[in-house]
Amino acid sequence: MENKITFKRLQDVPSVAISLGTMLWNKTGTWRYLKPKYTIKTPPCNEACPAGNDIEGFMVLVREGKLREAWELIKEENPFPGVCGRVCFHPCEASCNRREYDEALSIQAIERHIADSHLTAKKEKHHSKLRRKEKLAVIGSGPSGLTCAYHLARMGYGVTVFESHSSPGGILRIGIPEYRLPRSTLDHEISGIESLGVEIKTNTCVGKDLPFEDLSKYQAIFIATGAHRSRSLNIEGERLEGVLSGLEFLKRIHIGEKVSLGKRIVVIGGGNGAVDVARSAWRLGAEKIQMVCLESREQMPAFPEEIAGTEAEGIEIFPSTMPLRIMADGGSGKKVEFIKVNLGEAKTDGSLNPIPILGTEFYLEADSVIRAIGEVPDLSFLPQEVSIKKGLIEVGEMGFVHTKGYFAGGDAINPYHTVAGAIGSGKRAALAIHEYLQGGWLKEKFRLIQVGEKGTISMKKYFHPLEGEANPPVVPFKDIKTEYFEHHPRISIPQLSLDDRRGGFREIQPGLKKEEAQEEAGRCFNCGVCNGCDNCWIYCPDMAVKRKKDRYEIDYDYCKGCGICFEECPRSAILFEEEGR
Amino acid sequence: MKTVIEGSHAVSYGVMLSRVQVISAYPITPQTHIVERLSEFCANGELQARFLKVESEHSAMASCIGASAVGARAFTATSSQGLALMHELLHWASGARLPIVMANVNRALASPWNIWCDQIDSLSQRDTGWLQFYCESSQEALDTVIQAFKISESISLPSMVVLDAFYLSHTFEPVDIPDRERVDKFLPPYEPKLKLDPKDPRSFGSLTSPDTFTEMRYQMQQSMEKAKSVILEVDGEYQKIFGRGYRMIETYRCEDAELVLVTTGTVTSTSREVIDQYRDEGKAIGLLKIKSFRPFPSEEVRKELKGIPKVAVIDRNISCGVGGIFAEELKSALCNEEDRPMVFSYIAGLGGRDITQETISNVIEYTLEQDRPKEDILWPDLKR
Repeated sequence: MENKITFKRLQDVPSVAISLGTMLWNKTGTWRYLKPKYTIKTPPCNEACPAGNDIEGFMVLVREGKLREAWELIKEENPFPGVCGRVCFHPCEASCNRREYDEALSIQAIERHIADSHLTAKKEKHHSKLRRKEKLAVIGSGPSGLTCAYHLARMGYGVTVFESHSSPGGILRIGIPEYRLPRSTLDHEISGIESLGVEIKTNTCVGKDLPFEDLSKYQAIFIATGAHRSRSLNIEGERLEGVLSGLEFLKRIHIGEKVSLGKRIVVIGGGNGAVDVARSAWRLGAEKIQMVCLESREQMPAFPEEIAGTEAEGIEIFPSTMPLRIMADGGSGKKVEFIKVNLGEAKTDGSLNPIPILGTEFYLEADSVIRAIGEVPDLSFLPQEVSIKKGLIEVGEMGFVHTKGYFAGGDAINPYHTVAGAIGSGKRAALAIHEYLQGGWLKEKFRLIQVGEKGTISMKKYFHPLEGEANPPVVPFKDIKTEYFEHHPRISIPQLSLDDRRGGFREIQPGLKKEEAQEEAGRCFNCGVCNGCDNCWIYCPDMAVKRKKDRYEIDYDYCKGCGICFEECPRSAILFEEEGR
Repeated sequence: MKTVIEGSHAVSYGVMLSRVQVISAYPITPQTHIVERLSEFCANGELQARFLKVESEHSAMASCIGASAVGARAFTATSSQGLALMHELLHWASGARLPIVMANVNRALASPWNIWCDQIDSLSQRDTGWLQFYCESSQEALDTVIQAFKISESISLPSMVVLDAFYLSHTFEPVDIPDRERVDKFLPPYEPKLKLDPKDPRSFGSLTSPDTFTEMRYQMQQSMEKAKSVILEVDGEYQKIFGRGYRMIETYRCEDAELVLVTTGTVTSTSREVIDQYRDEGKAIGLLKIKSFRPFPSEEVRKELKGIPKVAVIDRNISCGVGGIFAEELKSALCNEEDRPMVFSYIAGLGGRDITQETISNVIEYTLEQDRPKEDILWPDLKR
């Protein structure tokens, strides 16, 4: 009250109460005890993607029609958007927060749309003009090997890939049927990798055509030979003529061999490989196809949409069934004896534990029997010092084999054979190799490049570390302000008619149109990432939110910490925490 | 050229022609048509204004206060419960000397629920420091809105333009919509003497001690006094340009009257008919219409009613415990006069009940018959 003003006369009194001087000294932000802060969090889809795609990021770009930028964003992490957009098991969609609101986003279809929009794009980008002197070898040109080669090449290394088959692609080439993955898509993406200077030596089987020791001139070796040895049924009659392995069958289709199986086919197995076999056989004209697996319908490892497609094509499935023996029936036919089973608790090594139900034996007749119960790696070519455990190469956390300069990835180290998982391990190995060659240790940096807690890493974070928290928390559904989002069903994509599928390997599902992709991408909540919706700016009662060119800033001189911006952010991209004193 | 439009829309046209810059409103029957039409004007570009949809009338008035404080011409419209909800901010607006203009459509206050015409909503706000103008016709409502901005901006006090629910708000009449250029000439852009400026922030309306508060209220009252001459000046200027004027009060056939009927709002039009019939019969009955309730035209009514034996006031409102509010105000204005009329206070037309020619005749007949009212409050349309 030192500055008390006394007016002596009426005419001195102002008509309204107004301070005589400026109030600029009065920073009302000092009233604040809670503080809002823009913080990019981790969207659950990004955490779930084993390949490390910035899914939320490309949704924004697709919505704005920026397909080239979206393609470039994916290519930062993953050289195979066209492949993943078709064959990935899309764990991103299973984690999508929108799933708890109405339906998950059709992320895979959008990724494919981005890739298909760039079939003419030839030029891939290196990180810099720097060309390094180190030469690196990759054994196997499957998704893991090529991803590793791609990232190393982008970093400026000279990379040579050795492939035993006549063309590159590994399981993508010889295993996945063309109706799911057109070879033109695969060729296009592999040629993109080659355009970075990656040399792929086909028809070169390390250990056979080229002794492993000859690779010693390379400063590092990435072993990604995949899993190509079919598991055996270990039952009577497995060596009869007309009994073959699924992978062998698919490989023969791919190299254009005429495969005649007869009219009646029995496929043994319940995974995606078995489904690929059965559906390929149906396309080749087989009339009666029966699929048999140990698992119950619910436990079958094949993707639900693949099982549905199988049944739509008239393929009969016998779940909870175990083969006992295969018998010749005199002519070219075979008779297979089965018994119904219940699955007991898995064995200690994780394998299935079928318990036969006595008296449920039955027979199926077939011209061909195809076993497709999975594949294991053939690692016999490796030197002694590479340690093998349970049929897989033993690696450290970062894909580092306990032998100097050796790294491994893909199906050779992972029993869960997924394309995205293979891509992820190839990427991780590329960084581990880079760090190794530069005298660093990836594990120390891992915390900075992690995306969530499921082991996914980001190349973008490695090369362009973000400000703020290294691995911010994943946004749960409860933090999404759903009142800002209209219900909107997931896009439904019609599949090829049965008539059009039969007799050939035409791609079963068409791609999205541009408008469809934009609309579907528009359903994205953008969990935890500011997309410039202006809500905070509109609602701030103190006008303390400032709109800048590509972001917002809070003027803490005047933010009183009311929390309205935090409450009204639809996507939880603002933190609200106690003010540090 | 005259156009047939709804009473509510006459207000909207007045606002549009006044080039209001901020409109903030919340819908309420029977006011909604006013702001609906304004939102259309904003949408189609006829009016360059920010239209704020708010969550309550309290916020509507709060945003008008904000807008006016930074120097924008601001308008809102409301009715009944909505006006009641604004109450504390009405005081704030006048105390901060902000020339906001508001249209209020007279509607009864609940409970019981009633959406029809009754003056109690605006009269309940008589002490808030707002000017209040009661309109008889759609044309008057349009003209009054334009005048109100000029008056308010001249004396730095807010104005309420009041019109009867449905009888006026929802009735279509031929209205002359003045042309824009002439209105622009009559009403130049608002140039505030003081305004909030983010570049040079000042504290407004802060704690004011007993040492100064009296003087500030005295100034407000001085402005209300000044308003009386400003209203007449502005109205005179308007009449010169547009050919229509309303003054603070209007007398109709009061020459040598033995009885003068006092009315407000649309009842006035009905009463004119009745007065004509009495005059035709040779009976000296006159009519006095009060347009300005705040400031109250005390001098004018004293002058006009001097020597008149009897006055009958029809109030479409009741302040329970005392009676009709216009009658009370009139009595206050007259009480120190030596030659003052006998004042009869009638309550009629509450909650939208029609005040018919018959009701008005009954009022006149009773007043003529009695030397003085038998009761302080008379109820000519009460069911007995």
